[in-house]
Parts: sequence; C-alpha cells; structure tokens
Amino acid sequence: MIKLERISKGFPGVKSLDDVDFEASAGEIHALLGENGAGKSTLIKTIAGVYIADNGVIYFDGKKCRWSSPKQAKDSGIHVIYQELMLFPELSIAENIFVGSAPLTRLGTINYRLMYERADEILNKLGHKLDPKSLIKDLSIADQQMVEIAKSLVGDVKLLVLDEPTAVISGRESEILFDRMKILRNEGICIIYISHRLEEIFSIADRVTVLKDGKFVGCHKVKELSHDLLVGMMVGRELSDIFPKKKFPSFEAAPVLTVRNLLALPKVKDVSFDLYAGEILGLAGLVGAGRSEVAHAVFGSTTRSDGAVTLGGVPLDVPSPRESIDQGLGFLTEDRKGEGLMMLLDASVNITAPMLSEFTTIIGLDRSREKQAAEDEIRRYRIAVPYPGFDVNKLSGGNQQKILFGRWTRACRRVLILDEPTRGVDVGAKVEIYEIIRKLADEGLGILVISSDLPEIVGLCTRVLVMREGQITGEVNGTDINEELIMKYATAAKKAPSVSVT
Amino acid sequence: MNAISSVGILRTNFQFCQVIIPLALFGLIAVATILKPSFLSLNNIQDILTQAAPLALVVLGQAFVILVRGLDLSVASLMASSAVLATAFNATSDAMIPVIFAATVLVSACVGLINGMLVTKRNVSPFLATLAMMIVLQGVRFYYTQGAPYGSLPEGFRFLGVGRIAGIPVNICAFCVCFCFLCWLLHKSSFGRMIYITGGNPTSAKLVGINADRVTIFCYVISSVMAGIAGLFLVGFVGTVDNWVGRGYEIDAIVACVLGGIMLTGGKGTLWGAATGALILILIFNVVIILGLPVQAQLIIKGIIIIVIAALFSRANEP
Repeated sequence: MIKLERISKGFPGVKSLDDVDFEASAGEIHALLGENGAGKSTLIKTIAGVYIADNGVIYFDGKKCRWSSPKQAKDSGIHVIYQELMLFPELSIAENIFVGSAPLTRLGTINYRLMYERADEILNKLGHKLDPKSLIKDLSIADQQMVEIAKSLVGDVKLLVLDEPTAVISGRESEILFDRMKILRNEGICIIYISHRLEEIFSIADRVTVLKDGKFVGCHKVKELSHDLLVGMMVGRELSDIFPKKKFPSFEAAPVLTVRNLLALPKVKDVSFDLYAGEILGLAGLVGAGRSEVAHAVFGSTTRSDGAVTLGGVPLDVPSPRESIDQGLGFLTEDRKGEGLMMLLDASVNITAPMLSEFTTIIGLDRSREKQAAEDEIRRYRIAVPYPGFDVNKLSGGNQQKILFGRWTRACRRVLILDEPTRGVDVGAKVEIYEIIRKLADEGLGILVISSDLPEIVGLCTRVLVMREGQITGEVNGTDINEELIMKYATAAKKAPSVSVT
Repeated sequence: MNAISSVGILRTNFQFCQVIIPLALFGLIAVATILKPSFLSLNNIQDILTQAAPLALVVLGQAFVILVRGLDLSVASLMASSAVLATAFNATSDAMIPVIFAATVLVSACVGLINGMLVTKRNVSPFLATLAMMIVLQGVRFYYTQGAPYGSLPEGFRFLGVGRIAGIPVNICAFCVCFCFLCWLLHKSSFGRMIYITGGNPTSAKLVGINADRVTIFCYVISSVMAGIAGLFLVGFVGTVDNWVGRGYEIDAIVACVLGGIMLTGGKGTLWGAATGALILILIFNVVIILGLPVQAQLIIKGIIIIVIAALFSRANEP
C-alpha cells in the first residue's frame, strides 16, 4: 500500500530522519515504534504531506508520489489522526464528520437530514453508537477519537495513521478502540499505529517497524518477536546503561517539600505528598491527569483554591513564582519553547533570567559577572553553545534542555520540579540529563519528576506517585516500581489502599 | 519543528535588518547629496535633525511598547492633547513652563497606565485598546476646544522648538538626554532585561518570577510620556497649537521602529535601531521634497514601505 525508500528529513541542527525505509500493506495494522525523538512523528508527517522529504521516494498505491501539501495526501486516501484532535467542539458529530463535504440540498444549503442519516451509517459501520446530533464538546476523548476515525471514512480512506491514540484514554477505552481498528483492517484499510506501549503492540499489531534516533532499526512480524527483543531494538542498549544507579534518600530528616490538600480546580482535586532532600520522586499518570497542574499550583504560577505548601519548613502562603524562586524552588516546565526559553534571546540571558537581582548593581546589570555565571553553567553541563551570547533557537533540543537545567539549578536551592525533562531530546542527551538529575539529588536537592515516559519513571525514581483525574491514586516504592502497577493505578477508578501520607 | 524554522527565518530577517539599515541610511544620504550638494551643509543637517527630533522622541517610546509585543496607536492623539493641555494654562510667564511640563507628564503617564492595564489585566488587544484611547483623547480635546484651540503659550515655549543651547538646537539636546537615559534603562539596567525577557516570551517571564504585567504597563507609560513631551516640543517647533498637532505620527513611529529593526513579534531590537529608523523616515520625506515631488508622494512612499515590511513579515511567519 505504502512504501518509503531511503527517506531523509532534516531540520536546522537535527537530522530527524536518516535514510529510513518503511513499508506497510493493505489490511494490516502496522505498528511504528520508537522512543521520544526517534523520528516517528516526522515520518508520519512526511507520509501525510506536512513535511517534504529532503531525499528519498514515496510509493503509494503502486505509484510514485510527491505530495506538496497535506491536502494532496488526503485526497489520495491518507488520513492522519494526531494526538491533538482536529475537531470543532461547538459543532455536532455529523457536522464534524462532514466538515467541508456536507451534502447539499438543491438550493445549495446544507441538507441536515441527509447529513445525519449518513453520519449514522458511518458510525454504525464502525460499530459505534453515538447520536450524530450531539456536540463534540460533550463527548469523552475516546468518543472524539471515534469521530475522527469516522471522518476518515467519508472519503475513500486507504491508509489510516493513528498517532499515540492510547496516550489520552483509559485501558477499557483502548480495548474498544482496538476492536474498531480490527474492523477497519478487515475491510482492507492499512493502519499505521504509533505507540510506545509494548503490550498494546503485541495485542493488536501484525507487524512492527522500529525507529531509533531517526534511523531504521528493523521491521518484523510481531509473532516472531519477544518483549525483550523489542525493547532491545528500541533502546539499542541495556536499560541499566541508560539510567544511573538508584540511591535511596534518608527519610529521617523532615521533608523538604510538603503539600497538603492542594486544590486547584478543575484539574487538581485534593493532592497531598511529601518530598525529601536527595529524593527523586516520580509523578506518573495519563496525559490530562493533572500532573503539570499540580506543579503549577505548587510553584504559584496558577492560583490554588486551597491547601498548604511548605518548602524547607517555610510555608508558601502567598504563592507566586517570585516567592517560590526566592525560597529555593525551581520549575522546569514541560513546553520548552512555549513556557521555558526565550527562543530569540541568547543563552546567557536565558540562564540568568530568574536570578537577575544577583547581578544588579546601582549602575545596572553587571554583564561580566553575568557572562561568567552563564559560562560556568555551560561548562558544567557541557552545553554545545559556542559562546554565552549565542541565540538558543539555533541549539538542538537536548542543548536547549540543558540550558534550562543550567537556569534552574543555579536558581534553586531546595526543590526542583521537572516536567517532562527529556521530551524531544535524543537518546545521548537523555542519558546526560539522567546523570544530571541523579547528581542534583546527590547534592541534596529534592526532585519531583513528572513524566509520561514510563520507562523513564521506572528507571529514575525511588518512589512514584500515580495520579488520575486530579487525585493521587497510588504510591509505589522501591523495587515494586514497574510499568504495570503504575498503569493500574493510573487507570484505577478508586483510591488505592496503599496510599499513605505521613 | 515548525516553530524552530520560522523563528530561524525571522532571525535571519533581523540580521538582514542590521546590515540593511545603516546601508539604507548612507544610501539615502548619498542620493540626497547627489541631487542637492548643499544637503550635507551643517545648516541643512541641523534642520533635518530638528525636524526629526519630535518624531524620534515618539519612536523611542513606541520601541518600548513594540518590544513587549504591543503597539501604541494613541501617541499622535496624545501629542495633540498635550499641546492643547499646554494652552489650557493660558500662561504668559515663562515660570509656568515647568508646571506645564509636569502636568503633561502626569496626564500622559495616566494615559499609558490605562493602556497598559487594558492590555495586561483585561487582555484587550493592544491595537484596539490604544485605538480606543486615541479616539477618546480626540473627543476630549475637541470637546474642550470646541473646534478651535484658544489660549496662549508663554513666549519661552518657542525656545523649545527653535532655540539653541551652546549652538545646538534645544530639541536635539532634549532628544539626546532622553535617548541616553532610555538607552541606560533598556540596555544596561536589569529592568531593561526584564523588558526583553517579557517581550521574548511572556509566559516564561512569569515563570522566572518576573511581573510581566507590570513590565508591560511600564512600557506603555514610557510611550505615553514620550509622546506627551514630544507634543510640547512639536508645538514649540511649529509655533501654533491646533487640534491635529502630530497627526500621523503613530504610523510614522511604528514604521520607523520596524525600519529600525525592532521586531513586531517582540523581544528583539535596540534603541539605536529605532533612532536610525526615525532618521531614515525623515530623510525619505526630505528626498521627496528635494526631488520636487508633491508632498502627497510621502504618503504613497510611506504606504509602500508598510506593505513591503508587512509582506516580509508574513513570509517569515510561514513554516
């Protein structure tokens, strides 16, 4: 059905795809597997015509193709469902399904009766019962995904790409999604399925292609693979080489950060926990469980409705980022470009931003001292930046992330919150970042790691809190930490009995 | 990835600006000198600078607002209003000049405060907030003057526009003082750094503990105060007050900033650039006159400059 030969695609500073071969046929579910930053998204965006490959050939349906826009790819039968759904929340299911292709009456107005009928037909074909008149905003995320799939069935879809659909839905909803995917496969549609959850791949995919660091690693029938073999292909090395050795902190001293009954509606409902000096505490959960919101509420960058936060024995009663920073709390946010760096400014400015007062003298900023400080951080974290005045937008993701580490470790003395610290960085930089985190904990910082990357949580943390729908549903300790248990709590309905807040 | 590449192009444009601006300046001077050799005479240069000074004052203020991703359309209206305010004192003694200045600064600061509050606290788009302010000021002015301004200014006022200190025109001196102070504020002080950080990424600014709202409001206040002061100097230069003193300066100021390499996306640009932009714009107007073209040609050229710049920026924003 689709065949990519020797595809390469580069961006300034990164080579996202390097000579990648990929091939999927009609009537199969083909899993695309790889770590964050392996090039999965770039590959599907190349298939979807969003990116144009620098090199290589794409064959679709037996013909050589070169799409210059997503629309061309779509017209030839390729439909991509991204993680962020492309739906209009204020419109009905039927209107969304037929957006841009609504059946018309003779007068040229929309024929709503026919539209609802045909929407109903399509949903039935999927085996999914939904009222085509209901509004998108009233649906669950899982049902919204179904509407996206239904949308693809309006045209003559030959290739359906699903980008990590299960990252945002629960286990039971995933089962339903897999059933629908099988229906479509049996109709002869080729499905490319992206995920990094191995269990799912074994339960649904026919074949799997693994990418790593933008390179093709292998393509195998799932039946011929074992779990360990697949992990080996994905990571390219033993897990023990990636993560530094765990060290348990002393729980005897008073916790450096205590959070009690934190309430920040709508996403955070009654969260309490303790963090000890030298500890790497994980905060796991599905996307949308409210983890980042907890961090923002603790840091003071969103208002909290209720609850108490104490940092090193000092209560943070009037929360604001300034107050938190002054008390020794740092927060490395999830969205590096949106909330982290000033992309057009230079490395030095980005590093010293939270600590300007340190360099302020009566006649203005002490530039030379500031530059010195920036150089110290650049050397300490081996950031590949030619000089402190170099603009950060020209750096790779890993180096940008290290700039943020430089910024926050300089500013913070007690607790560092890391939200998705390795998102979008390559494996090499990941290993370096894990070492940095370990070292910071050894130096006595309390570290809270929020991550959707479960292997990261398992490999790095000595204690893990699991959140679901704004509450902590479980706590896993030491050797009990494993992906299955975390997922169980992340999708569990009730508060697990093992939770203990001391 | 899209973000990176588009930012990359913007950045290239910025470097492009840094090279092209001084070149444009020298190019214009060369053209003018060839057309009219007396252009480079000391007298003529002084004339041009004197003429440019009020605009340059407004441009300096506008630069602060654009750096924090804003826009101030109320400056021209505020210039005229401060001129009318000056006559309202009906003063005859030169001793009143400091009082007039103080009143102008105070009223202008309030205007800037309101603009800034609307933009930050109420999240009104800078375009709409300052457009509304421009109309309100115009209304207040017309209501007060009933159409034609009256009242008188102290004799000494003319000195602001045409007088000299140690042989240098007063308004050029005033510009130099403002320029030095604002350069220190923006490029040397830690507050200036906060302006760049806020303009570079308002969300990050908040997360590194900077009161981004306060920084933004302050930039609007600077813009308004500079416009108010510029209004007084322009009155001194023109010699009479009317309801439309400084008409069109809001657009001129924005065009000068953009010509000077201050990016409308915020966080990038210098006051040197802004001042150069103002000078280029005034030179263009002069060349139009030297060429013997009708004054209306200035408008056409100004419009074309805006279109070219806007087109460049929209290109830059594509992925």
